[in-house]
Amino acid sequence: MSRVTKAWALLIVLSAASTAFAASGLGGAALVLPVLLLAGLKAHVILRDYLGLAVAPAWLRGFDLGLAFLMLTFAGLALAA
Amino acid sequence: MSDAPRSLPASSQTVPTREEETKSHDEHPPGQLPGELLMWVLILSEIAVFGAGLLAFLSVRLTDPQGFAEAQAHLHRTGAAANTIVLVTSGWLAALATRAAEAGQTRRLRLLLVPAILLGAVFLVLKGSEYADLFAQGIGTETHAFYTFSFLLTGFHAAHVLAGMVLLAVVGWLGTPKAVETGAAFWHMVDLVWVLLFPVVYLL
Repeated sequence: MSRVTKAWALLIVLSAASTAFAASGLGGAALVLPVLLLAGLKAHVILRDYLGLAVAPAWLRGFDLGLAFLMLTFAGLALAA
Repeated sequence: MSDAPRSLPASSQTVPTREEETKSHDEHPPGQLPGELLMWVLILSEIAVFGAGLLAFLSVRLTDPQGFAEAQAHLHRTGAAANTIVLVTSGWLAALATRAAEAGQTRRLRLLLVPAILLGAVFLVLKGSEYADLFAQGIGTETHAFYTFSFLLTGFHAAHVLAGMVLLAVVGWLGTPKAVETGAAFWHMVDLVWVLLFPVVYLL
């Protein structure tokens, strides 16, 4: 199985996990944190394997850092509501 | 559809051939950004624009969390979740098409891009059915701040999907590795934005 196909399978699993959390009836931090973590992981996989940043680890770390900051801000705002 | 390289018009003799582009791509220096720098500038810009939009959405939600929750209940969550699968699968096909282009497999890359484009159309149909349902309920952009943001963010994203479908068709017709890589990068950016947008607008 190629790297891209493994990435696709992982994205499907992560998407199914997001849907399972949303359908679980959980609320508050128990919903917000895992759903945003899964979104961040999906973004990381797309950047690494679909967009090819696996060959540029420093750039991948930079994007990951920016996305982590964005996700944490999303989480803070979502939990403050 | 032939795998033979297309001959270039006289005015385009400075454009690199497929073999030259493939060689160039294979020799990509490790550690540097793959593909076109301008495409990465676009990707960063789009993440910044949608990120700012989502931050504004979540900030305004602080003023009326109950109203946002009630408005969110009218969206098609199942359709949006299905659209995530649709887009990541389309992105997978586009990524495979990039590899096929690098291998000089023009017929294969086109056979991969056609379903990738069709999945983009599936995304728009599902999105369109959600909009039609909302409009049928009398819901519009001015009904509530939630809808102002959700229509703006998802509509702008849908416009990118449409543009990406056209771009994939064009690069599929061109068939060069550099063109396909650039078109696929745009498509992955559309995919990336959706995985950030979907949980914020539909799930939280």
